[in-house]
Order: sequence, then structure tokens, then C-alpha cells
Amino acid sequence: MEAALKAIAEPRRRAILSLVRDGELSAGEIASHFEVTRPAVSQHLNVLKEAGLVSERRNGTRRLYRARPEGLIELRDFLEGFWDARLEALKREAEKEERKQHGRSH
Amino acid sequence: MDAVTETTVYERTISIDATPETVWEFFVDPSKVMRWMGIGGAELDAQPGGIYHLDVISGNTALGEFVEVDKPHRLVFTWGWDGNDALPPGSSTVEAELTPQGNGTSLRFVHRDLSPEQAKSHAQGWDHYLARLEIAAAGGDPGEDPWKTNPPSM
Repeated sequence: MEAALKAIAEPRRRAILSLVRDGELSAGEIASHFEVTRPAVSQHLNVLKEAGLVSERRNGTRRLYRARPEGLIELRDFLEGFWDARLEALKREAEKEERKQHGRSH
Repeated sequence: MDAVTETTVYERTISIDATPETVWEFFVDPSKVMRWMGIGGAELDAQPGGIYHLDVISGNTALGEFVEVDKPHRLVFTWGWDGNDALPPGSSTVEAELTPQGNGTSLRFVHRDLSPEQAKSHAQGWDHYLARLEIAAAGGDPGEDPWKTNPPSM
């Protein structure tokens, strides 16, 4: 999960993910959308692939990339968990404080 | 869905067995904010236009501004990460609404992402979805949930 979070924290990688959301593209086609070198794009693609956010398919000599929706769903669940965990802690701490202030014990 | 709902990233209503006055302090008192946010330090100036810093473990700083401060009913503040392109300060908003419920509080907590104008300029669906995920990226990277694995020592 941490790998996926790191992967999308980089704006260029989010742009790449958007490009391959609806269909497969080769690294060269992806690179043509950006003013960065082809190796840099390949590196971004590797990070996305290792994070489970894109899949890679060989077609002859070409490698084609496409977004993996399942990877994004995992991230969405993580986001929910992030605030859920904090609100749980808020509830616990506020209730502890309330008992302290009012001398009640539950 | 209306435009406001579409930009909502996270929304929960929870019941807390503590008065709104008690819960309110957990949003504005630095030592109490630290008890639930899982952070190493906090500075808050809880008045409209006031700034807050939350020092999250690993040196990430959440930085924002209080927008509405209506003690102990409603608090709105911007949310973002200092120096993070994914979710810079001011790019999202958190709203907390506290309503008395018996002897306790009903807390409605909403985290919204980009402004409706920004959201509109995005393509439908997927791009918007990615924008929402930026919050997860900024909030969870690299600390995930520091509270769980590394409780604040203060």
C-alpha cells in the first residue's frame, strides 16, 4: 500500500495513470505526451507497475501499459481507513477526557 | 448528486460520549489534537484566518488555515501538506459539525478535495477519483498511521 501511495504522490505519475485509464499505450506513446526522456517515463511506469497501479502486456516487441482499477480501489479503502482510525482515536480520547472532568467511570 | 457532494472525499457521522465543549477542545487545543491525530507536535491559532501546523512523524507538516470557528458547533479549516505538490496547503477542506446528542455529541466530519471549480475542470470520473486519492497519498505517505505503530511520546 505504501508503494501505491508513494507512486501517486508524484504528479507526473498521476498524469501517466490518467493517460492509460481507458486503454493500453506503449511507453513511447506515453512519453510523447510529456517533455521528459523516455527512460524517465520507463522509470515512472516501473514504479506504477510495482505499486500494482498499472499492468504491462507484451505485444511482439512492444510493451503496452494500462491502469489497474483494482489498485485504485485499494487506495480508496486506505483513505477511508486513514480518517476512520483518527476519528476512532478522537472518540476514545474525548470520552476519556469527559470521564476525567466529570469523575464518571464507565 | 449535487456539486458539493461530488467533491466530498470522506464523510462520517459518529457519536461521542462527551459534550460538544469537550470534543471541541480536541480540535483547537494543541496537546489534545496531538492525542488523536497521531503527530509529534501541533501549533494552532483557532480563529478565522488563523494558521495551524501539525508535525507529522517523518518531518511532514500539515499546514492550513481556520476558515470558520463557531465554538462549539462548527469548525472549518483548510488541509494540505507543506511542500507537497499532490496536496498543497489550501487544496482541500475539513469540516467538523458538533451537535448535542443527549449527554454526548454527534460529530459530522467531512473532508472535501478540490474546489467545485477545479473539480469541474477535471475530466469526469477517473481524473476526479485520482484527485481524491491525492489526499490518501499525502496523508499516508510515508507515515501510514503513525498513531498505530508509533504513538506520540508527548
